[in-house]
Amino acid sequence: MARFAMVIDLHKCVGCAACDIACKIENNLDADVHWSDHFTETRGSFPNVRYQYVPTLCNHCEDAPCVKVCPTKAMFKNGDGIVLHNADTCIGCRSCQLACPYNVIYFNEEQQHNMYRNDQPLMPGLTASGKEIADKAKAPIPNYNPDREKTYQGIRQKGIVEKCTFCDHRVKEGKQPACVEACPPEARIFGDLDDRKSKVNQLLGKHTSRQLLKSKGTRPKVFYIRDF
Amino acid sequence: MSLTRRDFMKLSSISGLAVVGLHGGLPALSAFAQDPKSNRASALGKWMATTCQGCTSWCPVQVLVLNGRAIKVRGNEHAHATHGTACVRAHMGIQQVYDPDRIKVPMKRTNPKKGKAEDPDFVPISWDEAINMIADKMMELRNNGEPEQFVLFRGRYTYMRDIIYGALPKVFGSPNGISHSAICAEAEKFGPYYTEGFWNYRDYDLEKTRYVLCWGADPLASNRQVPHATSVWGEVRDRATIAVVDPRLSSTAAKAHEWLPVIPGEDGALAVAFAHVILREGLWNKAFVGDFVDGENRFKAGETVSPETFQDKYTHGLVGWWNLELKDKTSEWAAERTGIPAEQIVRVARGFADAAPKAISWLSPGSSMQVRGGYTAMATHALNGLVSSVDNEGGTLRAAKIPANSTPDFEPYYDEIAKKGTKNKKMDQRGYLQFPALNAGKSGGGVVTNNAADAILSDDPYPIKMAIGYWNNFVFSCSGAERWEKALVKLPFFVHITTHASEMSHFADIVLPAAHHMFEKYGFIKSKQNMVAYASLNVPILKPMWDVKMDETEIPWMIAEKLAEKGFPNLLDYYKTEFKDPETGKIAANGMEFSIFALKHLTQPLWDSRHENYGKYGDAPKGWQDLVEKGVWNSNKYPYRKNWDKFGTKTNKFEFYSETLKEALEKHAVKHKVSVNEVLEACKYTARDELAFVPHYEEPYRWGNEKEYPFVFFEHRSRLNREGRSANCTWYQSHKDADPGDERWDDVAKINPADGRTLGLHGGERIRIVSPVGKIECHVKLWEGVRPGTVGKCFGQGHWSYGSVAALDFKKRIPRGGNNNVILPADYERLSGSTARHGGVTRVKIEKL
Repeated sequence: MARFAMVIDLHKCVGCAACDIACKIENNLDADVHWSDHFTETRGSFPNVRYQYVPTLCNHCEDAPCVKVCPTKAMFKNGDGIVLHNADTCIGCRSCQLACPYNVIYFNEEQQHNMYRNDQPLMPGLTASGKEIADKAKAPIPNYNPDREKTYQGIRQKGIVEKCTFCDHRVKEGKQPACVEACPPEARIFGDLDDRKSKVNQLLGKHTSRQLLKSKGTRPKVFYIRDF
Repeated sequence: MSLTRRDFMKLSSISGLAVVGLHGGLPALSAFAQDPKSNRASALGKWMATTCQGCTSWCPVQVLVLNGRAIKVRGNEHAHATHGTACVRAHMGIQQVYDPDRIKVPMKRTNPKKGKAEDPDFVPISWDEAINMIADKMMELRNNGEPEQFVLFRGRYTYMRDIIYGALPKVFGSPNGISHSAICAEAEKFGPYYTEGFWNYRDYDLEKTRYVLCWGADPLASNRQVPHATSVWGEVRDRATIAVVDPRLSSTAAKAHEWLPVIPGEDGALAVAFAHVILREGLWNKAFVGDFVDGENRFKAGETVSPETFQDKYTHGLVGWWNLELKDKTSEWAAERTGIPAEQIVRVARGFADAAPKAISWLSPGSSMQVRGGYTAMATHALNGLVSSVDNEGGTLRAAKIPANSTPDFEPYYDEIAKKGTKNKKMDQRGYLQFPALNAGKSGGGVVTNNAADAILSDDPYPIKMAIGYWNNFVFSCSGAERWEKALVKLPFFVHITTHASEMSHFADIVLPAAHHMFEKYGFIKSKQNMVAYASLNVPILKPMWDVKMDETEIPWMIAEKLAEKGFPNLLDYYKTEFKDPETGKIAANGMEFSIFALKHLTQPLWDSRHENYGKYGDAPKGWQDLVEKGVWNSNKYPYRKNWDKFGTKTNKFEFYSETLKEALEKHAVKHKVSVNEVLEACKYTARDELAFVPHYEEPYRWGNEKEYPFVFFEHRSRLNREGRSANCTWYQSHKDADPGDERWDDVAKINPADGRTLGLHGGERIRIVSPVGKIECHVKLWEGVRPGTVGKCFGQGHWSYGSVAALDFKKRIPRGGNNNVILPADYERLSGSTARHGGVTRVKIEKL
């Protein structure tokens, strides 16, 4: 029984988006689905300009509105403070999307990874097609990661939503989320708020921290320390 | 009844079995094995070591391979240089190797007409047919006594390169191994060579440094040590002051203490002004540089100094430099030219010098690859000399030794035709009056890559009848791109070794599909980061899906075999004789064995305990297999101040007055029976007489007049560019906003909002950017991170070929975005031979569409 959270150290973050791509790879996401995402801000006027890059992801809120509004309890919180989604019981009503103030929930209007079902090669007889690649790989996408299947649909189906799960399938095995592992400066720190000695608690004790849209009252568990 | 995906997913996760050939043709999942004893279901799969060459950091990485599929990428834990990390680029390798738009088979052109508007009408052919055609063409040249009319264009390589780039053309009889280096960064090496005696890129002691002054360098996004820099930058920022000179608010500038948004091309003014302040305020490092004999600082603005009053230590010519150049280059003077406030110039100069010797002046292509950038490169590197950070703790460093073998000598395999043919000068006009290309002091010592197009067009020094290019795309990556289109139309026979049908492939007669260098090829690189030099292996960790071959080894082997069949066995003899398996002495029987034996031979001192250099300079892996598994060989840590007594310059000192450059220029002048001043004029430099031997300010050289072309154009790199090859990756497109100011799925030209108001643009409109040599279309972005009066645009997009994502319409050859090289003129920093794509080399106008 834990209370998992993430601390993002903006001083260390260089805004490279390795986390975003590593997340896509881990979770078999389509190119425009950003469970790990970011926003950037440019303020001031030349030459007094400040740019910052802020990594974002599901905040696994302690008071998660997506969980509250879900009519089928497909959106639920597990015993470790992670907000998870059950693909089987989701009916795709999208109430969670409306309720979430952070826009971190994606809805699959189409079947994902169209590219690898396309059977039209760019140059017939000369280049491959996406479907040919997938067939040769014997996988829905060539770099399909079967680890994701351990706790969630490997590729979420058309007609339901999906979102970040704090890589619960990895966390279960004592591993770090993919975004945390991929970050070269180790700017993302994941851990248990209920563990006094955890790194997240050390950092929260040492630095002033901020949360996004705190006033919405969802009690997000992604904390930002220092400045980009 | 067909299975829905939901049911299928449920089925596979419950059973944990690999499901093959389901009714309905759904693809089988390679599932994981479930250990019934514990709840730890684990995906089988092995982390395998290889090398990422997305940029020229060249990093050791590991790839998780499961059932023959590459699943994910991470750094190599055995790599000291990268702290076991990988940057964002490395992950995109996966989309490259599995790109549906990769070429599967060799292709032959059937439309004899060439041109951008002509469809090549490629048809698939067998490797045997392709190699046979190539060998026939080569034998034709030999039989006609014209082997020198063959060119091997080298693009992205490993250190197996001399097999195809050195041996193949030369044993055949052509001197023309033509590399891409001049479109890379040669001008950047010019600075350190003609001051420090070091023609190479530097490493940096970030751990100990107290000041980092970046000249267009953007280590958080691009070359040459991205994982190292990104890993430690937070700590560097805590310990050191970071100042970034860049026309754009780059990633590194955004995370720096000072941003100096220099007017493009005016970096030299800033550099000499820094030097002026440092000398005038007595802040130079006396122990290294030397001092006035009586200790009294005579460096006063506007006043010359007599040389006898100063005693040089490890440096040469400081007073000469002051008298010839620095004395008038005040911060006020520089402020007018650079757009940087005088007080910031003084503050940065003082801060930099105060941190001495732990102060790094970090050059980049941006500040060097300018028409008049050679002296800027010298000036920016000379700052390291002033503060004694050269080869010093907290400063700029060379690299530790990597005792790999060099390619075995192939000259013994020259027959009479080859002896004669290789005596011809190289075809790129290097060493001509207007192309000194003074690599390491030698006239014509360096390549002038981009000029090869003009050489082909003018048949000067001689016609070119055939070329093979590998992992290059000069039609896209060279400024004045249109000239390459024309040159390739003229070139009678062109073979392109490539993964994708790129712009250059469009003009090819034969296209050979290349193995991907991160997943499908044997090779190795040598590089350095974090004071560690390393060798890293490229390993074929995947069985290729398509009929591809390794560019640097399998393909030349096949050509050599065919040439032998046709009566010319020398190249095959060389490959067979000189690259036996070091462990068994076996002679290679085919291209794959050759690839492995060659790699073993070239890396032998690193892994073979019988070799005298084994273990002496770094790691001692337990044999070949151990090295392959670890993937990387790390050197011992670089020792400081090794070179202070013999820098390698003419005086063996760090030269502020470059006797080394003086000698090189004089030799070049004598060769052409002219004066040094005439050389400088031919090279578009304004300096004359002794000023030519010291770092000095040169006014930027720009194409286009201000009235007709009111904006100064500059370009920059992307942290997502795998050189020119990643725009076809959807991850590139969907994360393009990770480059400050840029947008997803777009290729924007960034202008300051003030200019937007003047032009009546609000952002997002389609515009045309017109230069004196070309025009492109793209969307405009209003962004405060660029100076009013400038247009900043990233390189890497504007492909009209390459693939279905990189191009907007592949069949109609409509580009996504605009290729900067269409509007950039083909100009050069001629003293180094480098292409000049920076420094605001062209002015442009903006038209609303």
